[in-house]
Amino acid sequence: MKKILSLLFLFVLFIGPCRPGATENLQSMIDEASDGATIQLENKTYEGNIVIEKPIHLIGKDDTTIKGDGTGNVISVRAEGVTLENIAVENSSMDRNSSEEYAAVKVYTNGNTLRKLSIKDSFHGIYLSKAHHNTIDQVQVQGSGDEEIAGQGNGLHIYYSNQNTLTNNEIEGTRDGMFFDYADGNIVLNNKMTKTRYGLHYMYSNENEFKNNIFTFNTGGAAVMHSNGLTLENNQFIFNYGHRSFGLLLLSANDNQIENNTFYMNQRGLYIDQATRNTIRDNHIYQNQIGIELWASSTDQIFTQNTISDNTIPAVTLGGTGNNAWSKDAIGNDWGRSFPILDLDQNRIGDHSAIYQSSLYELIEDQELTYLFLKSPAISIYEKMNELLNKSKIMFEDEHPLVSHPKKQGVLWIVVLLVLGVVVMMKMKFFPSKT
Amino acid sequence: MNYIWKEWKESIRSKGLWLSLGIIIIVSLLMLSRSSDFSLDQGFYLLLINLFEGLIYFVPILCLFLGAFSIFQEKEQKTLVMLVTRQESTLSFLGKKSLAIQLVLLAPTFVWFFIYLIPLKMNFVVDLRHYFLFLVALLGFILVFTQIGVFIGSISTSRMQIAGIAVVVWFYFFFLHDFILLSVLPTITHDNVQLFSVAYFLNPIQAVRMFLESGLGLYSFGNMSRLLESFMWLSPSVFFGMNLVFWIGVTFAFAVLLHRKEGS
Repeated sequence: MKKILSLLFLFVLFIGPCRPGATENLQSMIDEASDGATIQLENKTYEGNIVIEKPIHLIGKDDTTIKGDGTGNVISVRAEGVTLENIAVENSSMDRNSSEEYAAVKVYTNGNTLRKLSIKDSFHGIYLSKAHHNTIDQVQVQGSGDEEIAGQGNGLHIYYSNQNTLTNNEIEGTRDGMFFDYADGNIVLNNKMTKTRYGLHYMYSNENEFKNNIFTFNTGGAAVMHSNGLTLENNQFIFNYGHRSFGLLLLSANDNQIENNTFYMNQRGLYIDQATRNTIRDNHIYQNQIGIELWASSTDQIFTQNTISDNTIPAVTLGGTGNNAWSKDAIGNDWGRSFPILDLDQNRIGDHSAIYQSSLYELIEDQELTYLFLKSPAISIYEKMNELLNKSKIMFEDEHPLVSHPKKQGVLWIVVLLVLGVVVMMKMKFFPSKT
Repeated sequence: MNYIWKEWKESIRSKGLWLSLGIIIIVSLLMLSRSSDFSLDQGFYLLLINLFEGLIYFVPILCLFLGAFSIFQEKEQKTLVMLVTRQESTLSFLGKKSLAIQLVLLAPTFVWFFIYLIPLKMNFVVDLRHYFLFLVALLGFILVFTQIGVFIGSISTSRMQIAGIAVVVWFYFFFLHDFILLSVLPTITHDNVQLFSVAYFLNPIQAVRMFLESGLGLYSFGNMSRLLESFMWLSPSVFFGMNLVFWIGVTFAFAVLLHRKEGS
């Protein structure tokens, strides 16, 4: 009987169900699964690193975590058609001296789905390396925040990868929120990037669509460099506010469509340098310190139907005068209340040009500390003074400016005025002033 | 304590405190309505920054007048002469009076912004630490300008004089100080940028703004150039603290030294 029990014990020990928690066991569960199998993970922490080399579905529960050993990628996907869902992934290598850049999830193949992943304590969040037609949805990446830029990776790093779909992801505190390097034809929808260096960073990436994303509290909202044919629509660039920050940078970027985006309270709403043939249409650019900073190296931009109002400086042209159009098909931009425009024929297009002169361009070109004064009321006096001394230069001339719609007053205004009236009346009656 | 009680009773009977508080309340409610269009997490910070930018237009001038007229009232009603001749030195009188004015002005402001937390909580995700930082910035701002107001009241002999000096001081800090710095900006190099930095942060408006924006994590100083690094040779909170100490100290000292007892 003893012998039988001992044999049974040994059988259970070696042949029985895997002990989750051991690296080789999660790896072996994956290795032993057949192609297309679904592995349902438990509410516990599994040890990585793991490599997936067959098309399987790895589905976690609310508290499922895969924790790397800090020496490499936590999950490497080397097969096509893999699904990772509902898993927290953490602790990739942070080594910068390695020949490889590590990530919580590194994908080398096509047609995979990564959904509802929560990533932290990793260099890059998700790294697509020459991987196409993948879907990344509802992924949260939490970076280390305040460390030096080089010490952090990117939330989503897309390298030589095309036709991927990135939707509903939230990235915070990484180097760049999403970094596209030689990546074409990707669709990026409904993502939030906050407290990063650049929320979005395109390098040598063409024909991508970028819609309904929100960029807040970044050093730069989106930096589009050496990339052409992008569509940026309905995005919000808000509060990218630091020293020399911007909502959207176009650097050597050509033939891009920038439509219906909101640029609000950035140090510079749009910052355009060495870029050509971009169309900037129907955007709302307001309450930035500089609405549009346009360097003369940039030519043939078209600005039309934009609302550009309440910025300290609506637009500034630096380094000379470039050849850019401030209207298209006789439709210009709405420059807000600071540009009183006559519209006698009431066709919503002004009867005369909107011209903006400024003397600050020289200071901005020559002295970076000028940005420290952009919120100062002294700027208006400085501008007036230089206008009188004929030191101003025309920054833009919109020949067909749009006439502003009068704003509707909120109900709160009426309530506040009523309350104020009552208070004043009460005070006059009950608290006569002491003389 | 007597000074504080006396100041409080005088203030609630006069229009100045109510007017100032009324404007602060109205502006903060209007800003709340403007910011509520934004999402839960952004809206809170947009509100704080917009509110601060709104308040800095009139809080300095109101504080200057309140501080100055409160001192001048003692001259007008001849209570100053009685206080100073019988029991108080000018130093002690101005010290206690300053404390009383500051407390009477700061307490209702603090109470209002405590109440203001209720609608704020209903509309946004509120970070209490950052809200407290906003209050510190605002109260510090009030502190400096009220103390400058006390100085104006102490050296003035007529209401017209107070009005004139207060407007000039407000104009200086609001426009002239930065205008002068803008004018010398082309001459600033790495060698003299620290001196420029001292002059820049001598303006309470800039010092408080920088303290607030960097404290809220909105204004980052990452990847600074060498010039900017030299410019920010102290942290914004240290600049803010030094600005507070400098202006309160200097204006109090001059209020005592240049004090004039008579008032017309």
